Amino acid sequence: MSSDLLRVESVSKRFGPVQALSEVSFSVGNGEIVGVAGENGAGKSTLIKILAGIYHADHGAAYLDGKPYAPRDSNVAVRAGLAVFHQEIPVCPHLSITANIFLGSKMPTKYFMPDWRTMEARCVELYRVLLDEDVNPRAVVREVSAAERQLALLVRVLSRDAKLIILDEPTTALTPPEVARLFRVIRNLREKGISFIFVSHMLEELIDLSDRIVVLRDGKHIGTLVREEFALDVLSRMIAGRTLTPPARMMANSSKQQVVLSVNNLGVKGHFSDVSFSLRAGEILGVAGLTGSGRSVLLRSLFGLHPVESGEVTLNNRRVRIRSPYDAIKQGVGYVPEDRKTMGLFPHQDIKTNVCMARTAQRADLSSKNNSGMRRDAALMKEELSIKFRDEDDPIGALSGGNQQKVLLSRWLLLEPTIILMNEPTRGVDVGAKKEIYDLLFTLTARGFSFIITSPAIEELLITSDRVLVMNRGRVRSIFNRAEATKEAVIHAATT
Amino acid sequence: MQRLPDSGYIDKAATRDTSVTVRGLKGAWSRAFLVRDFGIGIVAVLIGLVFSLTSPVFLSAYNLLNLLRQTSELGMVAMAMTILIIAGEFDLSVGAIYAVAGVVTGLVAKHLGIEMWAAAGCGLISALILGLLNGLLVTTTKINSFIATLSTMMVYRGIAMVLSQGQPISSFLVEPEFFDIMGRGKGFGTIPVPIFWMAGWGVLLFFLLHRTAFGVKVYATGDNAEAATLAGIKITRVKRIGFVLTSLAAGLAGLVSLGYLKTITPTQGTGLELEAIAAAVIGGTSMAGGVGSIVGTFIGTFIMAEVRTGLVLLGTDAYIQDAFVGLVIALAVIINIKLTERGRTKS
Repeated sequence: MSSDLLRVESVSKRFGPVQALSEVSFSVGNGEIVGVAGENGAGKSTLIKILAGIYHADHGAAYLDGKPYAPRDSNVAVRAGLAVFHQEIPVCPHLSITANIFLGSKMPTKYFMPDWRTMEARCVELYRVLLDEDVNPRAVVREVSAAERQLALLVRVLSRDAKLIILDEPTTALTPPEVARLFRVIRNLREKGISFIFVSHMLEELIDLSDRIVVLRDGKHIGTLVREEFALDVLSRMIAGRTLTPPARMMANSSKQQVVLSVNNLGVKGHFSDVSFSLRAGEILGVAGLTGSGRSVLLRSLFGLHPVESGEVTLNNRRVRIRSPYDAIKQGVGYVPEDRKTMGLFPHQDIKTNVCMARTAQRADLSSKNNSGMRRDAALMKEELSIKFRDEDDPIGALSGGNQQKVLLSRWLLLEPTIILMNEPTRGVDVGAKKEIYDLLFTLTARGFSFIITSPAIEELLITSDRVLVMNRGRVRSIFNRAEATKEAVIHAATT
Repeated sequence: MQRLPDSGYIDKAATRDTSVTVRGLKGAWSRAFLVRDFGIGIVAVLIGLVFSLTSPVFLSAYNLLNLLRQTSELGMVAMAMTILIIAGEFDLSVGAIYAVAGVVTGLVAKHLGIEMWAAAGCGLISALILGLLNGLLVTTTKINSFIATLSTMMVYRGIAMVLSQGQPISSFLVEPEFFDIMGRGKGFGTIPVPIFWMAGWGVLLFFLLHRTAFGVKVYATGDNAEAATLAGIKITRVKRIGFVLTSLAAGLAGLVSLGYLKTITPTQGTGLELEAIAAAVIGGTSMAGGVGSIVGTFIGTFIMAEVRTGLVLLGTDAYIQDAFVGLVIALAVIINIKLTERGRTKS
């Protein structure tokens, strides 16, 4: 055991009522790649942040090279030889690759000026020795690809004697060939004795690259797989903890319900064309597809956020033209965006204002703000959707992710729209809240609300939707009903 | 389609948890800091006390009324600017609009021989048009409002200079009631009329921002423009109205100035824009948008006037007064932030 580079022993961390990590132990050997798998909220990022010195563990200990390791802040962690790659890579975009690599450290100088020639030469050498790659040291970082940027960052940390590199979802912005290249570089570095912790949602990538995989669920270390045990189904079962069974949902006589929305040959230039489908009262339609297939733009265009080029939309038996969100809302469409923070919430306004915002937006400018009415509506929504908050006047930031999501949903319910569009309805909410939101959707459909949901998580669509529409390169590839919609069928339709 | 039982979602009676936990006096004190504008109010009172210790005249009714009269033009502009800043934009051209409104009024009255009130109407309309231009420029081109209104500030100032040929306009035909009502008269025997104009305008804006749906839209637009759009708020419209309101305030202030001084200089109002922004910021308005209040800005204006008047009464060197005002701006903002933070963490 003493030959391990990093040893983590029963580390725990609690945030208020949430036990983010409990008693997690694992180790990373020299020249080993350890994968970390788990759902959102399983504790992966908490673990990374503790190792990087951003959070501090409540209990437990860690040892780096046999010495106790409890970094006070991220600088201490870096000095100890640990580097973290985030989803968003911090670089100075207007400077050259060389500058980004040497910035902050002791630069070689000549007559008190930075000695760029020496640095560029050393940059090229570093690339060759460490990565076995060629580089244009003068290329401006803003103009190179995401993959090049990552390599520059790798070189940067390696030139500072990093021994353990944590890769946090490093492939999200990369194309498949770029991923292959990154993996080749990582394997090369492993041969040189550098260790990696590799965190990813992509199970195939975890299996491809890792020597061992640590699985976290609800903050607990569920188990560790070694290479011989790697298999997609084993891994996904360990991550999910159970095979998710679709909740029993009465879909009786839904086909007898009237059609509330029909879309004919809809097209948005550069995104999709010839999209046709219909939606019945009380129905949930899932829209699946890869990133860039047009599924997200489809929802946004129905809400007036993208100018429609061709086709027609019929809502409640009336032909409508939706040019702006204001129009859409007037016609009875609501939209819950994928990113609560940047697209949904008003951080400095209180809960009641956030709940009632869509209705306030529809009211005449000079009509009364009506604080007591807003309070009453917020309290009503609190009860209807079991949103957990203390007072309607509290700031919105006091709510958890799941409750904030309910606030965004309640914003539309107050207007009683015909259709609610939801883009990634459970992004960034924990497992319990996820189930609550699904149950809520089912209750609401029973009352006649219709939903169109899109999400990159196919399981989510399979669980919630009555039918699944699959987009593929800007076209509708197929529409499955509940019986036909299996994960394999959807993936097949989305990718071929 | 009968979707919801009863008369729908909204009308159903709701039970609100009204149980209030009993907290001590200390709790009440720290909760008070959560009340909007409490912190900055304390700062204003403290500054007043300090000056009254050094100069007994400071707290006299005469001095306070005089102080309010002097600051009334700034107050009107700053309160309107607050709405614009909350909506996420601001306007550097207010000082120039203030001048244009006065110059247009003066020229129309003198050279076209129209009566004073109609001329004032022309002045106000010109201000309104300039404000609308600002709004259109910023919302259609999406130029940062700092740059956009910096350029219109110079253009509008140029208009004032060209129209007046750089000369002050004065010696109007005698029409005393205009000057009395706009600036020189006194209400209830003692209160200068500019104070009434500021109070009336302030109350109007207060209701607009804090009691109407428009006010909520203003906060939403500045707090998160994208979320506001997705909630169905027409943010362009909100911002344009903000620009027009601000220019209207500048025009009105220009008329009050004309009423009081009976003369117009095309260079008047230079620096008014920065003082208005400073007053709003002292009053707790966030330059990032989404946060602020009319009362806070009024207190902010008041604090700046307090310091200027106090320093005059102390007999300080006139040259150092601006430096002091600058210091007070920084101090007031720091104290306000600290007090609000304390109130928030304690509750």
